[in-house]
Amino acid sequence: MNVKTFVKFILLAEGFAVATYGLGWWSVPVVAALWALFSGDPAKARFAALAAGFGWASLLLLDVQRGPVGVMGSQLAGVMKLPALALYILTLIFPALLAWCMATLVPSVRKGATA
Amino acid sequence: MTRKIVAAVLLVCLLVVGFRATGPVPPLGPFLDPANGVWGGAAATSFPVIQQLSIDGVQAPVKVLFDDRGVPHIFAASEDDAYRALGYVEARDRLFQMEAQTRAAAGRLSEWAGPRLLDTDRENRSLGLVWGAEKKFASYDKSSPGFKAISAYADGVNFYIAHMRPRDMPVEYRLLNARPIKWQPIYSIYFLSRMSLTLGFNDATVRRLKAQSFVGRAAADALFPVNSPIQQPIQPSGTSEPRFDFAALPDPGKPDSSTVAVARAREAMLNTFAFRKPTETADAIGSNNWAVSAKRTSAGHALLAGDPHLDLSLPSVWYEMHIVVPGRLDVAGVGFPGVPGVVIGFNRDVAWTFTNTGSDVNDYYEETVDDTAHPSRYRLDGQWKQIEKRAEKYFDASGRLLATDTVLFTHRGPLRRELGRWLSMRWTVYDQSHEPDNFMRLGYAKNVSEWLAGMRDYVVPTQNGLVADRSGNIAIRSSGKFPIRPGDGRGDVIRDGSVSASDWVGQLPVEKYPFSLNPAQGFLASANQQPVDPRVNASYMGSDWYSPWRAMRINQLLRADSAMTPDKMRRFQTDPGSARADVFVPFFLASAAHADSVGRSDAALRSAASLLAKWDRRYVRDNRGAVLFEAAMTELATRTWDELRDPKKKPSPGDRLNYPEAQVLVELMRAPTSAWWDDRATPEREDRDAIVSASLRAAYEGVLKTNGAPTTDGWLWSTTRRANINHLLRIPAFSALDIPVQGGPSTLSPSSGAGTQGASWRMVVELGPEVHAWATYPGGQSGAPASVRYKDRLRSWTNGMLDQVLFPKTPGELDHKRVISTLTINPR
Repeated sequence: MNVKTFVKFILLAEGFAVATYGLGWWSVPVVAALWALFSGDPAKARFAALAAGFGWASLLLLDVQRGPVGVMGSQLAGVMKLPALALYILTLIFPALLAWCMATLVPSVRKGATA
Repeated sequence: MTRKIVAAVLLVCLLVVGFRATGPVPPLGPFLDPANGVWGGAAATSFPVIQQLSIDGVQAPVKVLFDDRGVPHIFAASEDDAYRALGYVEARDRLFQMEAQTRAAAGRLSEWAGPRLLDTDRENRSLGLVWGAEKKFASYDKSSPGFKAISAYADGVNFYIAHMRPRDMPVEYRLLNARPIKWQPIYSIYFLSRMSLTLGFNDATVRRLKAQSFVGRAAADALFPVNSPIQQPIQPSGTSEPRFDFAALPDPGKPDSSTVAVARAREAMLNTFAFRKPTETADAIGSNNWAVSAKRTSAGHALLAGDPHLDLSLPSVWYEMHIVVPGRLDVAGVGFPGVPGVVIGFNRDVAWTFTNTGSDVNDYYEETVDDTAHPSRYRLDGQWKQIEKRAEKYFDASGRLLATDTVLFTHRGPLRRELGRWLSMRWTVYDQSHEPDNFMRLGYAKNVSEWLAGMRDYVVPTQNGLVADRSGNIAIRSSGKFPIRPGDGRGDVIRDGSVSASDWVGQLPVEKYPFSLNPAQGFLASANQQPVDPRVNASYMGSDWYSPWRAMRINQLLRADSAMTPDKMRRFQTDPGSARADVFVPFFLASAAHADSVGRSDAALRSAASLLAKWDRRYVRDNRGAVLFEAAMTELATRTWDELRDPKKKPSPGDRLNYPEAQVLVELMRAPTSAWWDDRATPEREDRDAIVSASLRAAYEGVLKTNGAPTTDGWLWSTTRRANINHLLRIPAFSALDIPVQGGPSTLSPSSGAGTQGASWRMVVELGPEVHAWATYPGGQSGAPASVRYKDRLRSWTNGMLDQVLFPKTPGELDHKRVISTLTINPR
């Protein structure tokens, strides 16, 4: 990954984070769609997925700074009868999958419209 | 192409599970969102160090300092502002609990849980609690301080709800996929009605009637007597106490089949309320309070201690607070989340606490109706009277109508059909009352007299209010509405509803309430025992009172020490001694010795007697004798009271709930050849010594079998009795379970079999020139399970320790190092 790509990645990840913070979780597919619309490359879907996961990870890290996320995680894991790790992974995979789906679908929709 | 199809299908799935709940799983999107969802809630468990906000209706700035125990010290210019601020901070700490309690009281749990809790809601409403609360609320004096307080409090709660960030949403709402409802002032009344159900719903009638169905009226009356055979009353009688008023128990009589249906009907009514269904014997539950006058304390200042026992829960049933309105009010202590103000606590001059009186304040009437299937009228004094009908509607979470019931009422109260009979219930909780005003007045009292005046018109649930002041005075009064019945005055019978002559004819005047002020003995104590010696005041107040073991123990401890200190009071609250064990152990040992002397002993009985003789009768965690004694007591009750069980059924642990109090068993001990000792399952006729020694032997063999040898950990008290403090939703991850505790049946801190009952608050107050207080409760101030303040007091509670309560006169007087957060609420 070159510097330009790295900066792009960080900007996109933080885009996901800021949108989630301000609008809510549903902004993840919206941001992914916009990203895909402008980048136009279906191969970038993985890039978007990683950025979305990274964006939510950065928000989670902020939570860790501000409160007992570990305690919360183990309690919720107890409630849901899951290993705590699974809950964290789910938290990162959920936005990643949303972003991947959108970034995969939008370029083809655009292509179809252009054609 | 395949990739696109997969992406499309996956996207749809993700959006569905993101937006919608799937079975018990909440919508994943808002749930997992790390900024606004459940993870963000972790950040919301701690308060900002400094926070400012403006609330509608606040007249002048309110300063709220949270100390390091999480207690808000509210400094406001008026009571109105103070209760508005309290509503805000309680909602911030306990919103889910407040709503859960309200829904339970209002019969609206199915709006959260759907049809699963429909039956619970139906029973709640059919009991008339909502009907009664609404009547009470409608007639409440709108200009009274109490009404103003619950209104201001509701404003504060609603301000919090309206302005809470998504991340502030309590985790339980997320799991239930619910949102907080707007808080109404009537919710405070709902909650108090629910407390009346917990504390003021007397079930003595059903036990006596059940016994009557097995052994006849005379025997049942003796087994569940109006007056305790051991008298250690709350109001000292001036004679030597305890007094053993033993009488010969009549032999078991013939079954009285006429009571079977009524007993079953009553039982069915009780059992429908899962939370009211008794699961513990009286030995395992109970509250205490005591006060010592200045002349019997080391420092020469009056001392007061209180530990009300309730069902333990997380979050705790109590919320601790300190409210200051300069020049008017300066009160600290605990109140119920959802109800403004301090219920138990102290101000600069007096301290007070309560135990439950347990008096009989609800009666049953068998009604004659015009149509046994669908009645519209009931018979009264030869005339048909219209039945009041009320439609109760039940909805699920989506607002779909689940059911509609028509609840019936006579002039007495709710009318229900139980096993073919129509029973109506009269209960003081339906009567006009204004408990918020009563509790609020207490905070203004300057001395014992003013405090007692504040409780003069208190109604329900009846409480033994103990108070001490800085002048060294101590007083106790059992307050509340004590109904006067016609005829023999008893309330533990089913009365004929067809005549108004069966109705209550009045209530006991305050002057006749059990009461004592500065008794010569220099101390006062209550522990749910019969409040007044019937030789002093024979008014019927209830029956089947708790055995006075705890009262006897407190009196014993206080009588033995004329230089009382706050720390001794603290230690007494978890004292491991047992008056019950002191009374019963000698019987077991004597029966074993007797068996030895007549050649009926064996190795097991001798080993059991040897272990019991060595037992110091202390229920501490590492004690090895208590397990054997408790097993022997269970065996003894099971073997003695076999007449009170269906002979066709095998004994079950639940049977013990139908047995008489242990004090009646002591009474029976005086009659070694009574017919009650006979075991109906054997051809021989047993006597007392045979049953008592057989119980001890069986207990020893049973414990040996289940717990191993006496030297193993299985015999440690801590392995058998533990506290279990469940979260309101009974989620184990949010609960505190399996906590080894000191204390056992009938000790001052009784631990129950299920471990779900216990001291909900412990407080000691010294009323010197300055008031000093120490307190704790099992839990913490925060209702958020992930918060460090969710159960931070559990350790001190478990170990019988208390924290010093901070009681600053001004914000500046509070040590700034102990302030964790400052909230300023300004007028908007």
